[in-house]
Amino acid sequence: MAGSIKAPSPPRWLLAELTYACPLQCPYCSNPLDYANIKDELSTNDWKRVLKQSRDMGAVQLGFSGGEPLVRKDLVELVDYSHGLGYYTNLITSGYNMDKEKIIALKNAGLDHIQISLQASSKELNDFIAGAESFEHKKHVAKLIKKNGYPMVLCVVLHRQNIHQMKEILEMAIELGADFVELANTQYYGWAQHNRDQLLPTHEQLQTAEAIANQYQASQKGKMKIYYVVPDYFEGRPKACMNGWGTTFLTIAPDGLALPCHSARQLPNFDCPNVNEHSISDIWNDSTAFNYFRGDRWMKEPCRSCPEKDKDFGGCHCQAFLLTGDASNADPVCDLSPLHHTVTDAIEQAGQVSQTVEQPLLFRNPKNSKQLKKSP
Amino acid sequence: MSLQTDQAIKLSSGYRLQWEDAQQMFVLLYPEGLIELNQSSAEILQLCDAQHKLADIVQTLETKFSTTGLKNDIVSFLTIALDNGWINQSA
Repeated sequence: MAGSIKAPSPPRWLLAELTYACPLQCPYCSNPLDYANIKDELSTNDWKRVLKQSRDMGAVQLGFSGGEPLVRKDLVELVDYSHGLGYYTNLITSGYNMDKEKIIALKNAGLDHIQISLQASSKELNDFIAGAESFEHKKHVAKLIKKNGYPMVLCVVLHRQNIHQMKEILEMAIELGADFVELANTQYYGWAQHNRDQLLPTHEQLQTAEAIANQYQASQKGKMKIYYVVPDYFEGRPKACMNGWGTTFLTIAPDGLALPCHSARQLPNFDCPNVNEHSISDIWNDSTAFNYFRGDRWMKEPCRSCPEKDKDFGGCHCQAFLLTGDASNADPVCDLSPLHHTVTDAIEQAGQVSQTVEQPLLFRNPKNSKQLKKSP
Repeated sequence: MSLQTDQAIKLSSGYRLQWEDAQQMFVLLYPEGLIELNQSSAEILQLCDAQHKLADIVQTLETKFSTTGLKNDIVSFLTIALDNGWINQSA
């Protein structure tokens, strides 16, 4: 199944997950459940090699992510190096431990933009979800970001426990002067998948929230751009995941594993290459992992004969694996999938579980990570 | 918010126009976003430098390509660009 007929398009986006370390404990974290067992981190020079090789191939958007990228002591040096290579550099941060000196140092190094996340619009809920007292500090950092001339994206991950705050979240974004707001409905991988029963919203909650988001999109037009990331469990068709596997996005995990999407390391028996052993060019063009879901030769029915296969590429392979046990199945959020009931059952089950019953949220921290088995 | 003829046009803050050797094209970069531009879009955006007004852009490109009648196409592209927040105007 590996191998593609024509040369793949070059990577345009590089997501550099600098570390899995993070001072927060968000229970919807997309990092792998067993992250605490992954101890190796690329060195500064390893990262510079990856950044140079990726840029040479055509990558131009660069996200520094994690974990919390501010934990890396060489962050400013890596931003400076990337800026020199011509990347548009994005820092994706919780804001935790950011201060004025760091913001200025990053600006001087050429950082183009900062995305800061808040967990809710109230201190109580924000600090509960984050697992750390952080609300006032984050708001202070958001203001510092604007004061120092960065464009600011405010990201709020939405789920059953905060989605009722949609109006307050958007008012907070206006107050903080956000240029862009990303209202990201939780995607169910990693820790979010584990906590799904506690996080999945109801249809009614989503309808209410989406109507409010639409109102603000209209009233803030020209001032603040609002992106609403749809909750794909509730859509009839899958997302065009990663804009197609191995077409656009390249993720490098903290230990150097190269991933076609940031969840791909959870696919079993899927031999993702490591940048310590291969060049980015070899990885992108020739590795089995990056070629695996390119094109449509891997497809089974109902995707294979589907007129929409060039639009959504069969959806998300990690989701297909998590919900059906086979990454080559159609993404079951598609209502044409014979296994679509795995999604509707999950929604129904979550609807029956109130947040007060036996199973509480499992927070993302090293202790919980070590206690969990490797797969979900 | 519509296109004003008496105001210079500039790229919005945080937006960057850049030639990409690997792809042999101009791209417009912004926070977590990337737009690959065709040649005519790139020619127009290169003139959105806080110096040129609409008439200047039309004249510059008509001269550069020895042609006339570009105004409608340029207006429609700039209207889309303005609507998307890629550019803005100030007096």
